[in-house]
Amino acid sequence: MPEGDMAVAQGSSNNSSDFVRKLYKMLEDPNYSEVVRWGDGGDSFVVLENEKFTKTILPKHFKHSNFASFVRQLNKYDFHKVRQSEENGQSPYGKEAWEFKHPAFRADAKNNLDNIRRKAPAPRKNQANDDQFSSNTQIAALSETLAATQQQVQALQDSYFEMAHANKVFVDEIMHLQKMIKAQNSVNNELVNHLGKLDHERRHARASSNHSHQYNGNNIMSDGTEEPPAELRRARDVLNSVSGDHIPEKDLRQMSIQFQQIGASPDSASSSSMMGPPGSAGMQNNYMHDPMNDLRHMVYPVGQTIGIDPFAAEHMGNIPYNRPLSQNAMGPGGPGPGPVPEAGPAAMPTASPPVGGAPGAQSTSPWGQKKPRVLLVEDDKICSRIGSKFLAQYDCGVEVARDGLEAVNKVNSNPSWFDLIFMDIVMPHLDGVSATAMIREVSPRVPIIAMTSNINQQDLEMYFHWGMRDVLAKPFTKEGMIGKLKKHLPSFLRNPPSDSVMEQMYSNGGAGQPPTPGPYANPNLSLPMSAASSGPIAKFETTPVQSPATSTSWHSPAQLPHASPNMAQDQGYLTAGSGNPMAMTPGGTQRPQQFVGGGMMPAMSGQQMGPIPDDGPPEKRQRLYGPGPQGPYA
Amino acid sequence: MSSDNHDGGDPSLEALGDAIDIVTFGQILEMDDSEDDREFSQSIVFGFFEQAEETFDKMDEALEAKDLEELSKLGHFLKGSSATLGLTKVKDSCEKIQRYGKMENEDGTPEKDEELCLSRVTDTLASLKTEYTEAETALKKFFNASEP
Repeated sequence: MPEGDMAVAQGSSNNSSDFVRKLYKMLEDPNYSEVVRWGDGGDSFVVLENEKFTKTILPKHFKHSNFASFVRQLNKYDFHKVRQSEENGQSPYGKEAWEFKHPAFRADAKNNLDNIRRKAPAPRKNQANDDQFSSNTQIAALSETLAATQQQVQALQDSYFEMAHANKVFVDEIMHLQKMIKAQNSVNNELVNHLGKLDHERRHARASSNHSHQYNGNNIMSDGTEEPPAELRRARDVLNSVSGDHIPEKDLRQMSIQFQQIGASPDSASSSSMMGPPGSAGMQNNYMHDPMNDLRHMVYPVGQTIGIDPFAAEHMGNIPYNRPLSQNAMGPGGPGPGPVPEAGPAAMPTASPPVGGAPGAQSTSPWGQKKPRVLLVEDDKICSRIGSKFLAQYDCGVEVARDGLEAVNKVNSNPSWFDLIFMDIVMPHLDGVSATAMIREVSPRVPIIAMTSNINQQDLEMYFHWGMRDVLAKPFTKEGMIGKLKKHLPSFLRNPPSDSVMEQMYSNGGAGQPPTPGPYANPNLSLPMSAASSGPIAKFETTPVQSPATSTSWHSPAQLPHASPNMAQDQGYLTAGSGNPMAMTPGGTQRPQQFVGGGMMPAMSGQQMGPIPDDGPPEKRQRLYGPGPQGPYA
Repeated sequence: MSSDNHDGGDPSLEALGDAIDIVTFGQILEMDDSEDDREFSQSIVFGFFEQAEETFDKMDEALEAKDLEELSKLGHFLKGSSATLGLTKVKDSCEKIQRYGKMENEDGTPEKDEELCLSRVTDTLASLKTEYTEAETALKKFFNASEP
């Protein structure tokens, strides 16, 4: 019997036993013995005359006259009706008698009455459990909601920054449009004036029938046979001065596509890599936008300190400049054989080494199928000649730009042409930082490496903020320069380093999408990435590139370039380039072709290629070249 | 700096003395097709002579005009090429001029006294020219000596 349980579960209400006491008291009254009395054993009680009991006794003791209700009450206190048929087949008290029993309800045990309690109502007990259960689930639900909300806030923040940038671009664009409108107005005025005059003159000079054509301004403009009058020339000048390759417009275009990407399927995240090149192929010489009037490029010098000392050697190669998510765009060249992006870090060491083949066996070039094309932007003739000589001797294609503007023009004319850019900072016409910011508009991913002796913290932060990827301290050395090349163009190496922390591969602008939307290609990630590729607003994250700890999923795509798809693609570019990839500086003293087959390259490559495949990060590898420059004298 | 690291090889390199950082300069010599044909390095170095002398003239003018900003720019300009060639002392002086011109002390802290900056530039420019002449002499000697 559940007595103990009940006592525990239902420790309440003394008054609940009132009913029992009343019952006991009632049974004590000998006057009722004809109607209700203790059973013969004293362990039960018997209602002998139902009707009488209900009418006379119940009202006295229980203030009602409802037998059924009395029985219900008994049941609540766990009294049970004793069944007549069980033993004798007939009740000893008569056919109409009701015998009730409770183990603790005995004539001789008045003290036990307190043990007779109302049964715990089963439904209520269940309900209590339900409450507990539902509050647990509610907490879970709430915390889920909270997490979701937090994520939402995060996403909103991200998109807020995007918006802020967008807003800035819009403002720039509007300013430009206003300028355009003004210019158009004045052009129109000039045209109208001119046409009016022309019309007037001609009407007086000769009465020819084809005069009517002259009302059409285009007719005159395109009519090369006539010397354009001053007004027309002026008008055209005004037009030209504003209608050049306008940067905010490109920004807008890029941005709108990025927005689309965010909204679109995850695997489109990498397609912004396509953004730079298209549409800019035909922009050779129309870069007429005046950078000096563009507020966005008045960047020199600003910034706050960051906690590194660029002069400390260990920091130079370890500056937290990388914008990690831009690697999303670096996916493999396209579907095809070779390791899949999901291979992950574990697969890397085995993935890369075989690509190059035997070192130094068939060619003396350190590069693989394609030699990198490097743009050297340097106003100082001495430095640029030496720099390009270094590069040419290392079998790179080199072009030189003498200032930032020339560099921007060169890149604009073919945004995917250069594989890497060395950029001086202080230059006439357009400084290197501004030039970088502009180049980022059309070529978001080409590694741009600052060459400068001005490397304090502010400068560094500014460089990286505006899209540079690394710094080569001046005066640069050959090893320093080559080290940067190898660090940023690992996929070009004939023997790509196996080290997975190799930054990423900066292939040409046409790098395709990953074959499948890998773990790195989700929309959340694409937010910062798109910010990065749109240049100015991007903050460089403090993810140390060299740290193996971070070489997880972000770096796994970086490894892929070593696989075949990209090699194929690189060849494609080589043939597409068709011209001489070794295009040289006008200086003309360089004779790159000589170095391909012979000269000093065999010695160099013998020395250098050997250790590379299983070597450490670029910084370490660089040291292998220590003996390089001393070679001739040793 | 010391030529001890480069015993053997090219004896005439010793003649360069400590005006020139041999490791840096050696990199440029290495770019030559051969030790008998120093066309590349020689053209670089003689190009630098021209550039340096032009810059000195401009510095003199700027000093006369008390144009500190221009002096700083010129200092920066010559610093790059002299550093690339390994003309360490010349480079150091250029760097000083660049700083003084920016109204800074040698350690990069700001200096408000314009006259002080100008007089510092004047002094540094004088020693810069001396250092340059020293380097020029050594280099010319080197290239003449290595003519076949």
